[in-house]
Formats: sequence, structure tokens, C-alpha cells
Amino acid sequence: MNEKYLQILSISMVAVFGSLIVWIYWAAPKNFEEISIKAQSTIENISTKTQVITNTYEVDRAKFDEGVKNFREENYILARDLFERADPERRDAATQFYIAYSFYRQGWGRVSNDDELFQKGLEQVNRVAALDKDFVSSDADLQLKTPVELKNEFEEGLKITAGDFNPLRILRERK
Amino acid sequence: MTSMINENESTAIEGEIISDSPDDEEKTIVAAKSSREIAVRSNDSALWFQYFAAPAIFLLVAFLGGLRLGAADNEFLFHAPALVCLIFALMLQVLFVRARLIEVDGWFSDAFPPLRNAANTAVMIALFAASMQVFNALIPEQGLLFWIVSFFFLWSLWTNLFAEFETKKLLVSLGSLFGMAFIVKYLILSSFVVPESGFFNALLSGNLTRETLTSLLDLPRYSAGTGYIQFFTLVLYLIGLYILPPVSKGRHSLPVSGKISSETGSLETIS
Repeated sequence: MNEKYLQILSISMVAVFGSLIVWIYWAAPKNFEEISIKAQSTIENISTKTQVITNTYEVDRAKFDEGVKNFREENYILARDLFERADPERRDAATQFYIAYSFYRQGWGRVSNDDELFQKGLEQVNRVAALDKDFVSSDADLQLKTPVELKNEFEEGLKITAGDFNPLRILRERK
Repeated sequence: MTSMINENESTAIEGEIISDSPDDEEKTIVAAKSSREIAVRSNDSALWFQYFAAPAIFLLVAFLGGLRLGAADNEFLFHAPALVCLIFALMLQVLFVRARLIEVDGWFSDAFPPLRNAANTAVMIALFAASMQVFNALIPEQGLLFWIVSFFFLWSLWTNLFAEFETKKLLVSLGSLFGMAFIVKYLILSSFVVPESGFFNALLSGNLTRETLTSLLDLPRYSAGTGYIQFFTLVLYLIGLYILPPVSKGRHSLPVSGKISSETGSLETIS
């Protein structure tokens, strides 16, 4: 073989297999099955980051629609998972708003709220506000259309006030 | 290092022998052609060793050096090298240069084409990575023993840096040093380790002393397969060092400096 081809082969081999070794030590798969799973996840991450860099990033519309369907069916855990997969880079305000809203609806209780879910929802709605301050949801099904309104619900829900002991609270409705 | 090149052979390769007899001339041409073929083939195989076999072996060592198998279900555990392994690998490279296992001028030169320098750099990177992972394989992962074995490695490498070494002696010395570290870690220390953790397990199985030693020395629990993997890693690394030429081979070699011996009539090259 030509000397130059051998030298190119050597450089390529060290670059490719060197990168592979670094990746394996970084990903630390536990068995052969995990190697393919982690490889797929890494490729997806790289692909998403490349889309962000080249400004071609878009939300996965199919997953988003499926997420909305599950959100309306009150399957909030699955809906959140689908929204997160639809927008892995957390750049779409509408998708992030749905995630925050799912925390509100899942955590809301007629007698008491789930503080842990409300706290997560509060963090999430702050992310929506950071992405788009003027965001207004176009979903007619949602009574709280803006991050500010939703944030207020979370903050009120996390506070303990005299009103919390009012027996008429059980008559209130979820928004 | 001194190498002898037969003057007649080198003359035949050049094809400059002039003979009055036509038969002699024919024989000389045939000899010249076969010598040239042997030289080209030898150079080709040297290039394959240098640019393919050696880096492939070193990359394999770099991959296997940090691989451990869990005691419970033989799961892969990739142990990244500690900072001290990088320092030891660097010291080892200096030692290689001092012992002329690697001659820097023979691997990197302004006279070489950029591609050759780049390929040689790739081989050296693979060698460095392999050296680092060999230390990673031989030094205990954590606890007091990590520092004790590291100290002995540092002591050996540091004293070797100031010793006069030949290539062969260095390889023998490294083989024995690494061999001893392997025995300590994978034969002696691993014999103290009990596969299952927990006081009650140890009490029931009668391994209380070993369990205590495992806890006190902070020994990790690996399966027996780890020792086999690391044994082959070590052997591969030494083979890699053995096949690595001190000077990189190539068609654009540096001019040979030397003199014609008055006794044998052959060329003595000095490197």
C-alpha cells in the first residue's frame, strides 16, 4: 500500500477509535445492550444541537400533538414526557407552557394542593417567561392563558393563608 | 545504536555495478532487482507495523486499560484514569526518549512531509493514551493502596529518569515493574476481596477476616474476568512497545550519516 494511504489510515484510525474510546468512558455503558441505547441517545443529542446551531431547530409536531391529546385526557405524566421529547432543547414557549400547566392540573386539589408539583410548575413557568415574556396561549381549553396568571396560581397555591381553612374552598373549580 | 549495511547489497540496490562479462551483468541485474524487491517489501511491512499494528494495539490497550467487570453480574465498569496516571505516562514518554526507544528526531522533522509528521503524531498520541491506561489498570482504584502503589511507581520512574538505559534493558525493567504491580493488584489484593458485601454475609460464610480487609483497604469488588482482561492488556502494551521502531520508517528518510569500515568494507551508520 502507498505510504501516504497508510499514514492517512493511521491518522483516521487514531481519531475515530480514540473518539469512540472517549465516548465509551463518558457514556459508561453497563452491557452490550446499553451501548446501542446510549449511542442512539448521543446521536439524537448531537443532531438536536446541530439543529440549534444551524437555526433549523423545530419542535417535533407529532409528539407535541400527542402530548396535547394526553393532556386533554388528563394523563399528565405521559403528556409531560411527550412534551419534553417534542422539545428536548426547551426552546419552544408553547410546549414549555403546557408542561407547566400539566404540573398545575396534576397538583391541584380541591382540599389541598401538591406542593412538590406546584414548586416544579413554578420553576417551569419561570422558564416560559424567560423564553417569551409576551407569550399568550391560543388553546381555548386553558383558562390561564399567560405565564403571569399561571405563576400567580402556583404562588397562591404554595402559600398557607387563613383562606386555606375556609370550608367553601371545596366548591372552587380547577382552571 | 549502530547498524551495519552491507556495501555490496546497497550497491546492488543502486544498480551501479559494472561488469565486463555479459553473464555477470545479467546476474547483477537479477540480484539488484530481487534485493530491491526485498527492501521494498521489508519497508512496506515496517510501515504496516508502524502505522497500523502499533497504533491499533495501543488503542486496544487504551480501551481495555480502564475496563473492569462487576462482581455481581459481570457488568462493564469503565474507570477513567486518575490525574496521576497522566503524569506517570508523561514521565514514561520521557524515559522512552532517554532510553532511545523513541528518537524524537527520527519521528518528527522539518524534512518530513506534513502528512508523515501528522501520522507520527497520531502514533505517539496512541502510545501516550496506552501508557496512561496501563497505569490506570495497575494502580488500585481508591483508598490507601492507591497512594502507596502510586508512590512506588513515582519512585521507580523518577530514579529511572536519571539512570543510563538501553532500549532492551528498559523493556525488561518495565516488564518486571508492571508485572510486579499486576501481581500485587490482581493476585494478592484481589485474594482479600470477598465477592458479596455485608457483615452478615461475611459472618455466615466465615469470611469475616477477608471482609474486614476489604473494608479497611477499600478494595473494589470485581469479578475474576477483570484480571484476565488486564493481563492481556499488559501483554499487548509490551508487544506494542516491542514492535514500535525507534525511528519512523518512510520513503523520505533522513540522510544516513556514517563511515566505511576499513576492516569489513561495510557502512556503519551512526544514529
